[in-house]
Amino acid sequence: MSDNLLDIQNLHLEFHTYDGVAKVLAGVDLTVRRGDVVGLVGETGCGKSMTALAVPRLIPMPPGKITAGQVLFNGEDLLAKPDDAMEQFRAQHLGMIFQDPTTNLNPLFTIREQLVDAVLYQRANDQRVPGRWLGWLPSAKQMRKEAYDRAVELMRLVGIPDGDKRIHEYPHQFSGGMRQRVLIAMALAGEPDLLIADEPTTALDVTIQAQILRLIKSLVKQFNLTVLLITHNLGVVAKTCETVAVMYAGRVIEKAPVRELFKNPQHPYTQGLINAVPTKYTQRGGLEGIPGLIPNLIDAPPGCRFHPRCPHVMDVCREVVPGEFWIAGEHSVYCHLYGDEA
Amino acid sequence: MPSDALLEVRNLKKYFPVHGGLLNRKVGDFKAVDDVSFIVPRGKTLGLVGESGSGKTTIGKCITRLIRPTDGEILFNGVDLTKLNNRDMRKMRSEIQMIYQAPAASLNGRMTVGQIVGEPLLLHEKLKGAAARQRVLELLHVVGLKEEHYYRYPHEFSGGQQQRIGIARALAVQPSFLVLDEPTSALDVSVQAQILNLLQDLQDRFNLTYLFISHDLGVVRYVCDEVALLYLGKIVEVADVQTIFEEPKHPYTQALISAIPEPDPTDEKEEIILKGDLSLSKPDVGCPFAPRCHAAKVSECDTIEPPLVDTDGGHRVACHLHPEAV
Repeated sequence: MSDNLLDIQNLHLEFHTYDGVAKVLAGVDLTVRRGDVVGLVGETGCGKSMTALAVPRLIPMPPGKITAGQVLFNGEDLLAKPDDAMEQFRAQHLGMIFQDPTTNLNPLFTIREQLVDAVLYQRANDQRVPGRWLGWLPSAKQMRKEAYDRAVELMRLVGIPDGDKRIHEYPHQFSGGMRQRVLIAMALAGEPDLLIADEPTTALDVTIQAQILRLIKSLVKQFNLTVLLITHNLGVVAKTCETVAVMYAGRVIEKAPVRELFKNPQHPYTQGLINAVPTKYTQRGGLEGIPGLIPNLIDAPPGCRFHPRCPHVMDVCREVVPGEFWIAGEHSVYCHLYGDEA
Repeated sequence: MPSDALLEVRNLKKYFPVHGGLLNRKVGDFKAVDDVSFIVPRGKTLGLVGESGSGKTTIGKCITRLIRPTDGEILFNGVDLTKLNNRDMRKMRSEIQMIYQAPAASLNGRMTVGQIVGEPLLLHEKLKGAAARQRVLELLHVVGLKEEHYYRYPHEFSGGQQQRIGIARALAVQPSFLVLDEPTSALDVSVQAQILNLLQDLQDRFNLTYLFISHDLGVVRYVCDEVALLYLGKIVEVADVQTIFEEPKHPYTQALISAIPEPDPTDEKEEIILKGDLSLSKPDVGCPFAPRCHAAKVSECDTIEPPLVDTDGGHRVACHLHPEAV
């Protein structure tokens, strides 16, 4: 199984709220192969960001609680790691970029300060020194110089023109696309194995989105990165990813290589989702939405969580949670419709 | 003015003052909308497309007179809205309604759905009590909400339902023209499809005319009859929707269309990646798009601003590379 960089098994996550316990993730299974770009798609509230945040253990606990499951990274269970080891692990193996590039940069510091910090933090972890003691090391000055050079290098890598000058500017002097590039540079500072990109282009215009997606793709080749791309935009998935996992209400419901998924979607929800996006072939009045609403996760429907909205609902759907059924090759679906083929 | 035009915008300008210097005096103008003209035919949908900062929302606000334009004419049924005083404009507002991007923010959280949808009836038609209630219930039914929603508050609804409330409120005064400002940008795709279908149904049922403001070209291709593309406050290309998507002439339009992420992994269209981003300080002379343009430039690009010219049968382009009709 060394082929798999990340292997999430049967992950259950709950949030304790005043209204009750929200079962936000109810058995998520997801594997990410080394060197792959995996898309995690779903609508608001389906748990895609929660799955992504569970990997670096960034979910506040309490109110969150992981009740079952494993997150295996290179075969090692991240959920069992002590906190300080986890901190070091994040610096060395993980990079993360978020949706809103503005809120993730501190407006009071220049890009240089923030980017050099990220590089130094990584260096401190290499030297097994807690970050706050770094300044006391005899080699501190030299290290700062090197970190600065590395920061400028990173600015160049992510395609910011005049990086050596612009690095002295503040975040508000950068446009949205350029800020997202800075965040990508920060994520790359630690030479991560896995880059988690949570809706990286949602806040950007289409022409800028195209630039950023192209940048991510070129970085994957250049650094042999593995990417987990979280998005609600099926177009972005079609353009960027190799494998796709579709989530609905806290579960992965279909997994397939990208071409297979769009050509031959099996789960009724995936089919509905693909039909809901207008394409160049959609005629007026030909767009279909999915009737109904996403369920409240405090009182989620039993059995398959999609059954109240499903056009092919059967009795078994209301009671039994569907397991994984294989369609062909690497294409699997969690739906009772395909039960007899298993 | 062509007889079938419900709305005609002529040379619309909206400049915002830029303050600066020691005494914070006005030092210049920010040209959010700069000499924009277009026509919305009765019963049709005109799409207004552009990136953030291109001025599309400002145009919408000028038409509903939420802000006053600096210059230009807005002819609605032949009446120039920019010349109306506030009292006459208020009467006009029952004809022109607006639907906003963020449904939650555009509904008053302290009012029930009944009050929200009923308020325009009270203001415009002095309708109260049982008669108003009856009308509100009809409207809720039209937009796909139920009677039991009448006494609920906006926070009890999902985003898609909130947008339906906004649509019901806009329809309350029986308008003929709706400005839809990114009506589905905040919604998930499955809900977006429901709302787009609802808007099309309503258009057919009540013979509505839409100005559809959006940055999502996929949605625009689906709902609009005609499309106008904006770049830094200027229209760079106008044509019917099929022509825009199949034979775009302006390099900016070509780049935008090539950048739509099609939900089809086998789609092998060549993507045009633009240099830089929409910088809000455009060059003083020449074509505003010239610094980002990927097409082969001619010498005029950096010196003369291209006018919007008719190339063939209503397809208007502002680009030196298409000087057919000059």
